[in-house]
Amino acid sequence: MSHSNIKPQKDSISGHAERLIDSAKKAGAIHVDAMAISNTGDSITVRNGAIESVEREDAQGMGLRAFFDTGRGLAFATASSSDLSESGLNQLAAQVVAMARISEPDPDAVPPTGAIHPSSNELAAWNARYPDRDHGWNIEKARDAAMQCEEIARNYSPEISNSEGADASFGSSHIAYASSDGFSAEYAKSSASLSVSVIAGTGEGMQRDYAWHRAFHASDLRTPETIAHEAAKRAIAMLNPGSMESGRTTVVFEPRTASSLLGHLIGGINGRAVLQERTFLADSLNAEIFPEFITIEDNPDHPDGMGNRLFDGEGTRCVGRNIIDSGRLNCFLTDRYTAKRLKQPETGSAVRGLTGDIGIGSSNLIWHPGSQTQEKMIAEIGNGLLVTEMIGFGVNGVTGDYSRGAAGFLIKNGKIVRPVQGITIAGNLKEMFASIKMVGSDLTWFGSSAVPSIAISGMTVAGQ
Amino acid sequence: MTIATMTLKLPDTPPVSIETLQSVLSHMLPAGADDGDLYLEHSSMESIALEEGRVKHVSASTHQGLGARVIKGESAGHAFTDRLDTASLMQAAGSARAIATSHQDRPPVAIHSQATAPTLYSGSNPALGLDFTMRKELLERLDRLARSLDPRVKQVFANVSSSFSDIHIVRMDGAFIHDARPLVRLNVSVVVEQNGKRETGSAGGGGRFSLLRFAEQDKAEELVRTAVRLALLNLDAHDAPAGTMPVVLGPGWPGILLHEAIGHGLEGDFNRKGTSVFSNKLGERVAAKGITVVDDGTIAERRGSLNVDDEGMATKRNTVIEDGILTGYLLDRQNARLMGKESTGNGRRESYAHQVLPRMTNTFMLPGNDSPDDILASLDRGIYAVNFGGGQVDITSGKFVFTTSEAYYVENGKIQYPVKGATLIGVGHEVLQKVSMIGNDLELDPGVGTCGKGGQSVPVGVGLPTLRIDELTVGGTEA
Repeated sequence: MSHSNIKPQKDSISGHAERLIDSAKKAGAIHVDAMAISNTGDSITVRNGAIESVEREDAQGMGLRAFFDTGRGLAFATASSSDLSESGLNQLAAQVVAMARISEPDPDAVPPTGAIHPSSNELAAWNARYPDRDHGWNIEKARDAAMQCEEIARNYSPEISNSEGADASFGSSHIAYASSDGFSAEYAKSSASLSVSVIAGTGEGMQRDYAWHRAFHASDLRTPETIAHEAAKRAIAMLNPGSMESGRTTVVFEPRTASSLLGHLIGGINGRAVLQERTFLADSLNAEIFPEFITIEDNPDHPDGMGNRLFDGEGTRCVGRNIIDSGRLNCFLTDRYTAKRLKQPETGSAVRGLTGDIGIGSSNLIWHPGSQTQEKMIAEIGNGLLVTEMIGFGVNGVTGDYSRGAAGFLIKNGKIVRPVQGITIAGNLKEMFASIKMVGSDLTWFGSSAVPSIAISGMTVAGQ
Repeated sequence: MTIATMTLKLPDTPPVSIETLQSVLSHMLPAGADDGDLYLEHSSMESIALEEGRVKHVSASTHQGLGARVIKGESAGHAFTDRLDTASLMQAAGSARAIATSHQDRPPVAIHSQATAPTLYSGSNPALGLDFTMRKELLERLDRLARSLDPRVKQVFANVSSSFSDIHIVRMDGAFIHDARPLVRLNVSVVVEQNGKRETGSAGGGGRFSLLRFAEQDKAEELVRTAVRLALLNLDAHDAPAGTMPVVLGPGWPGILLHEAIGHGLEGDFNRKGTSVFSNKLGERVAAKGITVVDDGTIAERRGSLNVDDEGMATKRNTVIEDGILTGYLLDRQNARLMGKESTGNGRRESYAHQVLPRMTNTFMLPGNDSPDDILASLDRGIYAVNFGGGQVDITSGKFVFTTSEAYYVENGKIQYPVKGATLIGVGHEVLQKVSMIGNDLELDPGVGTCGKGGQSVPVGVGLPTLRIDELTVGGTEA
């Protein structure tokens, strides 16, 4: 098996963005910015010791935002395309300008001028710190890692009855941004990941679980053996689950499930949602929404974080900050528009993908760990539930009402006694945040977030 | 200039010449391949949104590319490229071939057009006929209507979007199949406020028809009324009870129960691999008598319908459960071949950049004989769930959940009060055995379903008559 390597179109990415800006200005836009992305990647899936699929990605695209002066204020529109031919670029530019002319002028529109861009020194320092490094894999090495991982997981114990396969993926991206105020920059990212999913038990008693890891470089990945053991152990531990009694109890979220709480927090402090009063945290700026021992950081420049970025989707320089500082909500996440409307600082949180409007999102989120192991936390709460899996989407972002399917382990007298599934856990996010009793020492990275175990008292469990 | 005239003219002929496709196909397929195809797609999407009384999110995107695929036994090679120059296409073909050990080529085949299936929808861009100015006026009208309905309405969000996807599939045998797929959607959501308490309600609808229909019919106004009604209802909602109790599901969108509890578990890939709780259960009772479930990709203009699936196979009406007995799985070509069966026309992919997976189209239960009033009256103490948000399932254990967006607490057959969004949880192979009454009022959903699997999203439909389930776990906070 051989793959010739397509060189990522690095050299042309900034060029495309700049050409697009020229094109849009010729079509009548007065301000423009553009983001161009080029991805190449490979992935190999093996199952039962044989190759199930080999995939190759060669993707590119750019998003363009154009502002047009209506005489009554600025109107704008966005468009994106994967057709980077000369005619494709011209068509995109013509389309976005025509659309901007129809959009309603917005007196608060923020054109891409006067943004706080990173300086050329910062750009150089960034590229020195995170060089355009290879991911360290080719298809053969990835196949070997996936084969090894799947084999170890399948052979971990006779209780492992089936496999959903192991997947090894690797790739690189180049991201470029340019705006009509003269700023233009690009950077590269690489990644490698390994995952496996296995089944324990048979028939109606089957339980499935998985484990994965992702890093900038294949050599930074956890070993195939560690990943395989984690997946197999988790699937076996869930065999023969029962239900539990309905009632109020303390719930311990292990890092994997606790990371969803971070997601709800970030959704709740999204500047756009705040502006539209569509979040349960709209009135909570500077309020103590967590106990004092909680600090959560948004860090765009961390050696372990897959969400590193020097500038955001509007070219704004990204700076690290504590979102939650000793329990207090320090800021909303903003792009330039929401910062202006909310009269809040720009946090450099504009997110732009290959399609759609500009969104808002975090870089790397780090929930500062506590000092206790998960085992000690369980011993301390006495009775409750350890949640290892959640299912469904029962979260109302406007009210914070929370009700989700769950599975995990019943805790009695400070010890895990048996697996439970088919239950739900419910509460209200605001009350849940305030009712955090303990934070574990087991900080675990999941790509662009790092979370420890978290114990919350007073949640309602629905079971039998 | 209006945008209608700006909307991209889509090619009736593929953006790559037949000769090039033929040489790419020949380069891709080794001797010994079981199957293979090229999937050429050009799609465009337009969206316009209103918030704070102003239309200000106007966006569009255009994507084109080629997916190349080679299948041998249980292995598949996939590659895609956004670049349609011959060198990039050949490179993709070479990557897709990487699973093959043979260096021998197949003899080239002649590409020949295959007669297309019945037309379930118009083959023209659904955005045509309602230019951006008209879409803007429609949204502004909906905004005014929402605010006029109740002074507690504080925020109105409305979004109209359309997409048009033009695909050409070239199969290994040279069959050349074309489909052009329109899809539109209108969403309305409102935030209401009373005594400092905020709540939200939303409604949406759509299908494979022209945007013009939203302007011509009362459908759009109906969505606004529903969104406002639901938001106000939520202001009065009580905490939901927690525990196991009987549940009555309303008709239509609650069919998501079938999608999660049964449909995913019947998809061919999981059953071939033995990872579904329904594996090896053909011919066995998996639901109460009287329950018949079909997956039907052939209903005109429905969101989940397709003239041909993404492997160029005509879609069908497939019965998967008949009178409670499991009668079939949903299959794409690869899983059908490996299971010694025929494709059921359920091979779907999100785009050229994704693998083909067996997926549902429109999944619903046929109506029974009970009147909806009798079913509700049978509820001593339980939940009447009229509408849902999303749901999810674990195929292997069969456990599934979905969350109510409109539900009531019922005692002695009478509605007592609305309850807040509660998660309902059950086990797929158990829940349909506990159905004791089936309504005579089958409805399909309003056209909002999107199904996620393996990281891919595809539009789907669901449907259900009113249904009584004797026991389900309700995840409220009122223990």
